[in-house]
Amino acid sequence: MSHETWQEQLRRGSLDLAILLTVSSGPRYGLAIIQHLEAFTDLVVTEGTIYPILGRLTRDGLLDAQWVEGEAPHPRKYYTLTRAGTKRLDQMKAEWRAFADKIGRLMDAAERPDHAAQ
Amino acid sequence: MQLSETGESRVNGYLFVLERSLKTFLPRDVVRDAVREIESHLRERVLAATHSPDERAALERILTELGPPLRVAQAYSAERTIDEAVATGRIVPIVRAVGHLASTTIVGFFAALGLLVGYLSAFALLAIAVLKPIFPNNVGVQYVRGFPVGVGAHFPLEPGVELHGGYGLIPVALVCGLGVFVLTQRGARGFLSWWRNRRVS
Repeated sequence: MSHETWQEQLRRGSLDLAILLTVSSGPRYGLAIIQHLEAFTDLVVTEGTIYPILGRLTRDGLLDAQWVEGEAPHPRKYYTLTRAGTKRLDQMKAEWRAFADKIGRLMDAAERPDHAAQ
Repeated sequence: MQLSETGESRVNGYLFVLERSLKTFLPRDVVRDAVREIESHLRERVLAATHSPDERAALERILTELGPPLRVAQAYSAERTIDEAVATGRIVPIVRAVGHLASTTIVGFFAALGLLVGYLSAFALLAIAVLKPIFPNNVGVQYVRGFPVGVGAHFPLEPGVELHGGYGLIPVALVCGLGVFVLTQRGARGFLSWWRNRRVS
């Protein structure tokens, strides 16, 4: 596997978590989600491909989508985290932290071979 | 930024291509909603680009960041039709997903070609099992000059072609047909699953 492929898989694997985290602080519309992701991460490569993911998360019942008119010159589709989405996000956060912790320990052990057995 | 007539045409052209691409594999109401959302994104971006003196350059940058309409449509395909096909394993979503990939990617085209051969072979074998009891003298293993050249039906039987194989051909064709169908179906699902794992996002 090339480095680019590995990076791409890492990015794809964490995009769902990143989107759920972005929406967890309150309702956001598509572009606001993208801008938030772009401000904190480099997960968004092509903006238009975030919308199908939002659609899938909505179909899976993790997000709720609602069109809002009159707030801007054009309608905006707002996404909110559902109860199932909150539950899934909690699971994902716990798993992510555990995973990052284990990989971190593995990296520490690799950098300090004398402590590897501990 | 207020778009000129040319800018509006460019935006409408983008949305037109996106809508046409999405229509090939998504229900109408889903397409309408998706195009509305992408249009909302574009309008928002255009509105925010207030300090740009060059409308064309600003609009092209916005469209580039959004991604080509075919790529966006492909991402919808990856998220929706392929997910449905892999999850359900039903023939209609599988055919729809493979059909869409075949029309948008080279790998998808060749995969669809291979799967088409598989499905047609399965159909032909099952047809032999069905036709044999109806036309017992026209369906069987074809021999030309004493050599078997194929299995199938001949209407009418050409001179020089002999047909062998009795009713025992029916269970053999049935088992082989179903076997080829199941293998093709698994192949299609495996291919779509592989494609889903490398989905564009």
